[in-house]
Amino acid sequence: MQKKMMYSFPDDVLEHVFSFIQSDKDRNAVSAVCKLWYEIERWCRRKVFIGNCYAVSPRVVIKRFPEVRSIELKGKPHFADFNLVPDGWGGYVLPWIVEMAGAYPCLEEIRLKRMVVTDESLELIAKSFKNFKVLVLFSCEGFSTDGLAAIAAGCKNLRELDLRESEVDDLSGHWLTHFPETCTSLVSLNISCLGSDEVSFSALERLVGRCPNLKSLRLNRAVTLDKIANILRRAPQLVDFGTGNYASELPPDVLLNLAGAFSSCKELKSLSGFWDVVPAYLPALYSVCSRLTSLNLSYATIQNPEIIKLVSRCPSLQRLLVLDYIEDSGLEALASSCKDLQELRVFPSDPFGGEPHVSLTEQGLVTVSLGCPKLQSILYFCHRMTNAALVTIAQSCPNLTRFRLCIIEPKTADYLTLEPLDVGFGAIVEHCKDLRRLSLSGLLTDRVFEYIGTYAKKLEMLSVAFAGDSDLGLHHVLFGCESLRKLEIRDCPFGDKALLANAAKLETMRSLWMSSCTVSFGACKLLGQKMPRLNVEVIDETEPPDSRPESCPVEKFYIYRSVSGPRFDKPPFVWTMDEEGKIMH
Amino acid sequence: MPNMELQLGLALPTPNMIKGFDLNNHRLDHLKQRGCFSNKSKRSFEQAFGNFKQDGKTKTLLLWSGQPNEEEDHKDQKKTTFSTIDDNDDEEVEQVVGWPPIKTWRKKIFNQPNGVGGIENNRVADKENGRSIYVKVKMEGVAITRKVDIRLYLSYQTLSNSLITMFSKDKKCGDDDSTRYILTYQDKEGDWLIAGDIPWQSFMRCVQRLKIIRNRD
Repeated sequence: MQKKMMYSFPDDVLEHVFSFIQSDKDRNAVSAVCKLWYEIERWCRRKVFIGNCYAVSPRVVIKRFPEVRSIELKGKPHFADFNLVPDGWGGYVLPWIVEMAGAYPCLEEIRLKRMVVTDESLELIAKSFKNFKVLVLFSCEGFSTDGLAAIAAGCKNLRELDLRESEVDDLSGHWLTHFPETCTSLVSLNISCLGSDEVSFSALERLVGRCPNLKSLRLNRAVTLDKIANILRRAPQLVDFGTGNYASELPPDVLLNLAGAFSSCKELKSLSGFWDVVPAYLPALYSVCSRLTSLNLSYATIQNPEIIKLVSRCPSLQRLLVLDYIEDSGLEALASSCKDLQELRVFPSDPFGGEPHVSLTEQGLVTVSLGCPKLQSILYFCHRMTNAALVTIAQSCPNLTRFRLCIIEPKTADYLTLEPLDVGFGAIVEHCKDLRRLSLSGLLTDRVFEYIGTYAKKLEMLSVAFAGDSDLGLHHVLFGCESLRKLEIRDCPFGDKALLANAAKLETMRSLWMSSCTVSFGACKLLGQKMPRLNVEVIDETEPPDSRPESCPVEKFYIYRSVSGPRFDKPPFVWTMDEEGKIMH
Repeated sequence: MPNMELQLGLALPTPNMIKGFDLNNHRLDHLKQRGCFSNKSKRSFEQAFGNFKQDGKTKTLLLWSGQPNEEEDHKDQKKTTFSTIDDNDDEEVEQVVGWPPIKTWRKKIFNQPNGVGGIENNRVADKENGRSIYVKVKMEGVAITRKVDIRLYLSYQTLSNSLITMFSKDKKCGDDDSTRYILTYQDKEGDWLIAGDIPWQSFMRCVQRLKIIRNRD
């Protein structure tokens, strides 16, 4: 009897099968099966994710995947968000756009995070990709509203324009008028980061009015409360809405009008914005609250009882972002009202104040964890914590995948027992077996890293600051965390030994950032010399690192794996070493 | 878990699946040859953090000027002192660069009501420059001092309503509902006055601090 072997399927059958495989991991696995599958897979891969734009050159990507329609790139290290990476470090997208302009005329989607995007890049995108649909610029910088005008004018089928958290040079609000009257394809528009006072409001209104598929609209602070009702009435199909400025001194019928406009949006599930919110206008939202699954109040300086009033009306809430004005009492209300809560982020209203002026403590987080067992993601800023609280949280929320705790004063101990918080975080990694991301704070010894290395087998990203006693701490992490991809460390007494002993580990990770630690220039040099597939970049703004003895610590360095060798766009303060250990520049 | 004591010169255990590559041995030989291997190169935590130098140029707390024998100078220094290092920032006294880890644009929410650019607010006639006006509010008998953004309120009534609810949970057991309170404020000249006498807009411009005191009449 004739056996039909797998490899006797015609190529297009295989290709059809592969088209159901979307995840990158699975695609990579498929391509590793055999040469034939590698070939077929690479011709039909449509989506590429590159977590570090310097890990591979655009040409190599294009050569392997000739028919890509969607690309996602990330640039600067995460700590750039907190001003630890000097300006001009890199992450330029232009070289990628230039290469792709020639190679991918059918490119439809570009998603960028922490990259430098120039107006020239945007103009090139608008010109080169005839069927361009999605542009997401997350935490990017380097462009102005002129570039946006080019996108608006040039991309006839634009579906998504999302500028979240980007820094845009606001030359004029009139870029919105560059969307032609024929543009009706918008599904998502996020301009919340723009500062421009004159967002051409009439253009915005008309745009919203003629895009029947618009599902997500996030306005910026310049759009005033009185205008929101008009917008909502033109887009009652909205699912996600970001208000602009929520303050006003207008007559009371505005409130009624606004309430009516909100209640006409039957699909609305997600709200954000609320800059300068005046509590008196919050009741306009009440009709929408029961459907809300996501609420971002983290720009809203409202306090209790307004927060409690709002939150108690949202039993379907899955995601809440809020300032610490919510206090423990508000978190209690949250815990009893929102049983489906999956994500909670509490930001500090006065991060540099020193003395807490709100009553938000570890108790609030404990209460939420007890009341909301479906919690998966926590980001919490507070002033004090205990091991007992962390243990309770860990036991109550075993499904946590992301846990980021920031106790504002570095090296703060358990305030009841005065012990380090090792045991508490140990409980988190022990009980939350699916934990992928962890940020530590408070007083921590090498012990906590021992726990992490032992238990956190699925951990992919770890952020450490002001923690540990010795190299043993770093060794525990590098040795034990099998899934580790990104490690960022600042102000810890970690030196050369653990790093050099685990050099091979670094090739299994995306990147390692260390600053204000005690790793010497000699160790960096050695790593750079011996590990050709790692780019070891020392960041020193004052002088070349080899002008000091090799045993001297470097202030900052960033190590990442790359198949394309050292990069060519290094600024003067980034130093790498060649095979002979000579400084390259 | 065995106690893994790190000793100079010994290779640390490496996982089976990754080819063990311990650069410590390479490095030690390399540096010994060049004669610059120094026991002093590894600093203790306290010493490292005590070694705070300000060269006026960078924002970083730790400035490694790199001379190994500097450890001796700072033996007496206590643990980390986080003092102000960047004098350029008037409004925010940043104690340590990048800490707490909050994105830059979030910090600007409170200071620049008109977005990152800080453009003048010319939309609403009454507000002169649109900046948040935070004043401290202290209630007699309550430990915690709170802060409110005066600009959020439209009148004395809305302000006092908000203050009442804010402090209601702090009411002492000794007080009953008949205890009356007076809202007082400190003006630009430093005088304490009873709130309510001057128009709201003028009040917003001159109020420095608020205090809620018991009415003892």
